[in-house]
Amino acid sequence: MSALALPNRRVEGWRWSDLSAALRGAEPPIAAGERHVIARLAEGAGKFSKFEIEAGGSRTEVERVGATGLDVQALDVDVRAGGTFTLVSIQSGGDVALAHHRVRLAAGASFRHFVLAEGARFARIEAEVEIVGAGARAEINGVYFAATGRHADLTSQVRLEGEGAQVRQLVRGVARKGGRGVFQGKFKVERTAQKTDAEMEHNAMLLEEGAEVFAKPELEIYADDVKCSHGNTAGQLDEAAVFYLRSRGIPEAEARAMITRAFLIEALPDWLDDVVRSEIEQRIDTWLGGAHA
Amino acid sequence: MLELSNLHARVTPEDGPAREILKGVSLNLPTGEVHAIMGPNGSGKSTLSYVLTGRPGYEVTSGTAKLDGDDLFALAPEERAAKGLFLSFQYPVEIPGVPVMTFVRTALNAQQKTRGQPEVSAPAFIKKSREVSARLKMSDDMLKRPLNVGFSGGEKKRLEIYQMMMLEPRVMILDETDSGLDIDALRIVAEGVNAMRGAGRSMLVITHYQRLLDYIKPDKVHVLAAGRIIKSGGPELALELEKSGYDGVIAGANA
Repeated sequence: MSALALPNRRVEGWRWSDLSAALRGAEPPIAAGERHVIARLAEGAGKFSKFEIEAGGSRTEVERVGATGLDVQALDVDVRAGGTFTLVSIQSGGDVALAHHRVRLAAGASFRHFVLAEGARFARIEAEVEIVGAGARAEINGVYFAATGRHADLTSQVRLEGEGAQVRQLVRGVARKGGRGVFQGKFKVERTAQKTDAEMEHNAMLLEEGAEVFAKPELEIYADDVKCSHGNTAGQLDEAAVFYLRSRGIPEAEARAMITRAFLIEALPDWLDDVVRSEIEQRIDTWLGGAHA
Repeated sequence: MLELSNLHARVTPEDGPAREILKGVSLNLPTGEVHAIMGPNGSGKSTLSYVLTGRPGYEVTSGTAKLDGDDLFALAPEERAAKGLFLSFQYPVEIPGVPVMTFVRTALNAQQKTRGQPEVSAPAFIKKSREVSARLKMSDDMLKRPLNVGFSGGEKKRLEIYQMMMLEPRVMILDETDSGLDIDALRIVAEGVNAMRGAGRSMLVITHYQRLLDYIKPDKVHVLAAGRIIKSGGPELALELEKSGYDGVIAGANA
């Protein structure tokens, strides 16, 4: 492969996540073509899957990213009319952890996606959703945490062509000193996608001085009869809340963890099954506990 | 039980210089007694409650506060709570994502742990919670909701008293617990507070108005003005305040 094929921070969309620098010296095999760079890396590594969900069918996948070294995975999924694809991506550990999901939705199809990104030296979980048919629905939620020396990037793009789609996105993340979180979200509403109803929300909490979060919410709208909104906040723990908890007898570290946990848990969708939900909650608790130890 | 001696404290707001608010407060609250602190806006009532509970940003510059002879200011807020100090907040904080029951149980067990006592079992906790919430006429639904989120002013105050009754503190500070309560809610809350009175417990009731003191009868009343207690007396002092206003009493004290 040539190093030139990998995007660096001068490339829009990669400015806060320099893939070229992260993989310098690794020279992983990369497939040729016009696909997304993570998909081509995944193809080179043999972790690329492509399938379709038949009309009215449903399928659930729990994907784990972050085996040691470079772990790169990609999915290319066609969801036919009325089908449902549910995908939970859990990124944990790894040196460089990359995932790319390309999902196309036909009329009345649904995509439900939840990402937990614990961060790595370099982690990016990316989704590209194409809403082709009318009345489709996409829900893209995520939680990320970036401890010291960790990088967690959640990037997504939803392109809408079909009419009357509903899109909901809620991503919440926290970062500690020397950790970097990245959120990039884009809704592109084509002229044909009238009656789109789309909401994007990203909230980050900087837990310590020296934490970094970069966010780029984008709406690009060509249709004239749509409802689209985005909200983006970055803040710190509410000290009044921390004191309230302490005044009731909860030690400071525990009070901070409790408030941070509550903040993150709100981004967990209610469709998660109990086993997955409890694993995710446990991972959040472990991270909060460990980070305070 | 609680002894304050010549307490001076200042507050540093985020956007301004430090201001001295308490200018020598002395007060002795014996075990088993209920004292009211009354005073006009800006007299330092809420500052006193935050100083005693250890809110960051409220700095004690001189004087002492002792709880059962121990220096209160040497303790972190959570340690003060474990020693039995409780503040019913004037403005309780909303904590999204943390259900009331989970929160109170976590707080209770954290206090138990600090005191070196065993955790309270889930069934025992739930039984007690049922008794307390019935007494305060609170619905089960309210206890499952996130702490204070979407609660009305009155519900928040009721929830403060619920927490107080669950945690069974020994020294209670009620900071304007009557504000935001209608007459019926005030009566229910006062009944809850009165149920906590008795040997081994003391209360400081901070209020603007005499009204609350019709329901929670104090043993003593102190008037706080400009950071000092300018007058102390029996319950009749509250009635005098109601009649002649703070200005009259302050003028009388200065004369």
